[in-house]
Parts: sequence; C-alpha cells; structure tokens
Amino acid sequence: MISKRLSPEEVIRRPLRLYAVIVAFYGLLLGWWVYFFASLDGRMMDRIAAKGVTLSPEAEQALHETSSEAMRMFLFEGGFLGLLVLVSVFLVMRGVQREIMLARQQRNFVSAVTHELRSPLSSARLYIDSILLRRTSPEKAERYLRHAREDLDRLGSMVEDILVTRRISDTGVELEKELVDLADSVSGDMERLSGMHSQVRLQLEAPEPVFAEADVTAFRQILDNLVSNAAKYGGEGTKVDIQVVADGRKARLSVRDEGPGLNGSDPEQLVEPFVRGGDEMVRTREGVGLGLYIVRELARAHGGDLKLEDGLAGGGTRASVTMPLASRSASQAAAGSSTGSSTGPNAGAGSDPGAAGDAA
Amino acid sequence: MTAQRLLVVEDEVHLAEVIADNLELEGWSVDVVGDGLGALERVRSSPPDLILLDVMLPGMDGFSVCETLRGEGIQTPVLFLTAKSSRDDRVKGLALGGDDYLGKPFDLEELILRVRAILRRSEWIREDSPAGDRLVLGEAVVDFETFTVTIGEREVELSQKEVLILRCLAEQPGVVVSRAEMVDRVWGYDAFPTLRTVDNFIVRLRRLLEPDPRNPAYIHTVRGTGYRLTP
Repeated sequence: MISKRLSPEEVIRRPLRLYAVIVAFYGLLLGWWVYFFASLDGRMMDRIAAKGVTLSPEAEQALHETSSEAMRMFLFEGGFLGLLVLVSVFLVMRGVQREIMLARQQRNFVSAVTHELRSPLSSARLYIDSILLRRTSPEKAERYLRHAREDLDRLGSMVEDILVTRRISDTGVELEKELVDLADSVSGDMERLSGMHSQVRLQLEAPEPVFAEADVTAFRQILDNLVSNAAKYGGEGTKVDIQVVADGRKARLSVRDEGPGLNGSDPEQLVEPFVRGGDEMVRTREGVGLGLYIVRELARAHGGDLKLEDGLAGGGTRASVTMPLASRSASQAAAGSSTGSSTGPNAGAGSDPGAAGDAA
Repeated sequence: MTAQRLLVVEDEVHLAEVIADNLELEGWSVDVVGDGLGALERVRSSPPDLILLDVMLPGMDGFSVCETLRGEGIQTPVLFLTAKSSRDDRVKGLALGGDDYLGKPFDLEELILRVRAILRRSEWIREDSPAGDRLVLGEAVVDFETFTVTIGEREVELSQKEVLILRCLAEQPGVVVSRAEMVDRVWGYDAFPTLRTVDNFIVRLRRLLEPDPRNPAYIHTVRGTGYRLTP
C-alpha cells in the first residue's frame, strides 16, 4: 500500500492539539490561582477562628492588608501572564494559518507547474527518439531537431520563470538601475522580438525619448514577457501594438493584442503566481503561468506597476507597465549627449511607417 | 484491408505532430484534433479505431471527453496520454472508461506497443466469435452483438466487459478459463484490475443468468484456478 501524503492541515494537527492542551492547562491553573487568592482572606480568618483565637482589630486589619496585597500582586502578575498567553495564542494561530496557506500554495504550485514541464520534455524526447529509432531522411531529421530545440528552449524559459519567481519570493528583486531611454531600448529590441514571434505583426509606437531610471535586463524581461503573452493570446496573423510614451510623470510601456480579452477573469487574480482560475484539468493557457507575476514584481521594484485591461474599443487585451520618469534635468542631459551620436529613438519607430500615424 | 484509423487529441502542436508521424509510419491512418469539444464532434461523426487522448485540453478536459463518449454508448478504445500521471489520475482515467494510460514523457516504443495491444484487443471484440453471436443458458439468451440478455420477456443490457467475459468462457465450453486469461483478454496485458475484479463480474453475471446464483448451473467456479461454462 502506498503511504498517503498528509495535507498541511493534517501535519500540523498533532502539535496544535498538544499546544491546545497546554494552553487549556494554563487557563485552569490561572483559574485555580484566582480562586486561591480570592478566598485566601476568608480561609485565614476561618482557620484562626477555628483555633479559638480572638484577634485584636489591629491584627485583623494587618492580616486583611497582607492578603489584599497578595491579591493585588497576583492580579498584576497573573493578568500579565494571562495576557502573554493570549498574545502567544494569537501569534501561533496566525503563524500556523500562514504556514498552512504557504504549504498549500506550494503544493498547488508544484502540481500546476511540473506537468507543464513534461509536455515540451515529451515532444523533444519523441523527436529525438524518432531520429534514433527510424531511418529519417536528412530533411526530416533536421526539422525534428529544430522542433526539439524549440521545445527545449520553451522548457528552458519555463525553468527560468520558476527560478526567477523563487528568487523574487526569497530575496526580492535586485536591480542595477541606470538612466535609460526606454523608447530607444524597445526599438533596439524590435528585430529580435519579430524574429521570435514571426506568427504575429509587431508594431511600435515610440514618438519621443522616454527616460527612466531602470535596470536594462529587467526591462527587457518585462518587454519579452508582455510580447510573448500578446503573441500567444492574439494568435496567428494578428497584430501586436507596442507603445512607449511619457504619460504625466510616468513612463508607460503598453502591449496590446487582438486576442479574446480576459474572458471575465479578474486581472488581479491572473497576475498572482500559483493561482489558476477554473478547472485545473481544462487547459486555459500554456506555460507555467508566472510571466505576468514576474512582470508585475519587476515593475514594482522600479516603483511602478502592471495593469491589465480588456473591453477596449477594438477588442483585445492591453498590458501596461508604468514606472517613474527620470527627472527633467537628467533626461535633458542624457538626450543632449545621445543626439550627437545617433539619430535618436525615433529611428526604430520610423522603420514601421504605419506606427507614427497612429500616435494619438 | 484499410488501415486502422487513430485519432490523436493533443493541444501541443509539436507533440501531436511527432506522435502522428510515428503512428503513420507504423501503417495507421492518423487524424489530429487540438481540443476536447472538437474531439467529441470528430468521434461522433466518424468513430476511429482508437483515440489517443490528452487529459489537459482547452475547452473540455480529456476525462470528460471519455466520460461523455461512454455515456453516449460509444465504445471506441481510449488511451490516455498525459502529464498528470499520479496514481489517482490513472485510476480515474481507467474508471471513466479509458482502456490504458501512459504518462508523459513516454517512450516511443512503449507507445506503439500499447497502441498495438489495444487495437488487437478491440479486433477480438469485433471479430465474429467462434461461439456464434448468441449464447443460450436455459431461459437466458445472451446476444454478443447487441450486448443484451433476454430472459423470457425481460431484456437487460450488459456492459462490454460482462459480454467479453461471457464470450471468453463460451468460446471454450467445458474448459477451465483462468482469471489471468480473462483479465488479459478482457482488460488487456496491462492488467489494471486485480484478479478479484473478475470474481465480482462473475457474481453479477450469475445473479443475472443463473436461476439459483448460490448453486450455479452454468458458470462454475474451479477452486484456485478460474471458471468453467457448461451451457
């Protein structure tokens, strides 16, 4: 018989029961002390009377004072101890609840994520097995190897997402910020992104330099994740609009797809890691589902945030990341130094003739 | 003879491609569908000889697809191919009417062997039985084609497994058929059910077919070995 794995609640139940017994015992003890001190005075007098001794009013007075002193001391110390017990009960219960929640999330996470890793692993393995076990033509073998390679890339990026998530939840996000023109950075990445997502048409709108204090690698990860999401949900042959603009005191990168929208899902929920809406067996999205969480955490580390919207005129979903703009003086200094050496960030945007006209 | 038709239901494009390629190289004709509802439609309009069914699918999961098909009386064999391969998942898949279960990542040769085994088994189910298409046990008449038993005026439907067990016995009247042989022929080489399962089926069949189930006149127990049918 296979031994059944205990759920987090079951694991904690036994020590928790012991703790409840200890607390209950302590409560009883306090109760007993209350009784003992409250009745001290009466019992003392009864005993003295029983021995046939008559006390002078002064002596009686002194005894009453002593016993009420003991009572006061008890009330103070016992009350304090009782309060400590209550606080400890509160803290322990809260800690236990948090532990249980974490353990449950961890478990969901493990089950939600591991089988996603198996699919690319299976197909990569089958492609390679097919080459090894069959007489495949060189053309077919090459195609199989290319597909296997893509599967492994996908597997690699899933593993990377899991590791990044782990790191974010363990140590938080560490950034190396520098003054970056986000518009320039995105337009420099357009060629690479178009190559990666050849099934969709990427369009960039970045009319002017947008300077922010940002970590270049993290910003690229944000862009990559948003664009892959848009390409995935938009589907074959659709358009993905990328926009980098200064909006008030914020820099905004938004990526919009032509997909079906959020289908009534709560945007807040979609971003949470470990959480997957609906029936777990019914597949709603491919991948480990950590991409948006990573984007949000990176944006927040920059002092910004992630926002998901659908129900827009023209349909689709828009994911926007905002972060504070760099100060005017820093931007001007940086812009001044860059105009001399290059044609500026508009060069990238200009390569797409349709984009500039869309600027609103 | 035309090639047997297999339906691969898998939403991962690469996986579907490489599975289909390999099954075609084995001489089967293969169709691919990427989602649960599409699979249901395809099977209803032209039932294949075997369905290779992923569990996590868009629209409707593989377990529900299998359950729905069985509910509609479609007995096409199902081989589950899935990344969810815990013991509970396997048991669930088989309980819902699946014929076999293969966890990802799987071995190419194992996949092909299992497909072949299921097809061989279903061939036997469809073949004309050497025992004829009817089995008469006193008042009860079992029809191997329509999966029914008629007792006087009353007609009762039998499950596929019940019919197969009876066929297994009827093809060798008077001869002892071991439980292991029945499991092998009725459930397949992977022997998911325990030998006790066979006993449970026999108890149900006796209750239906024997005038006195406590003193069986037709289906006899051979202690420690198996069962023997005397029509």
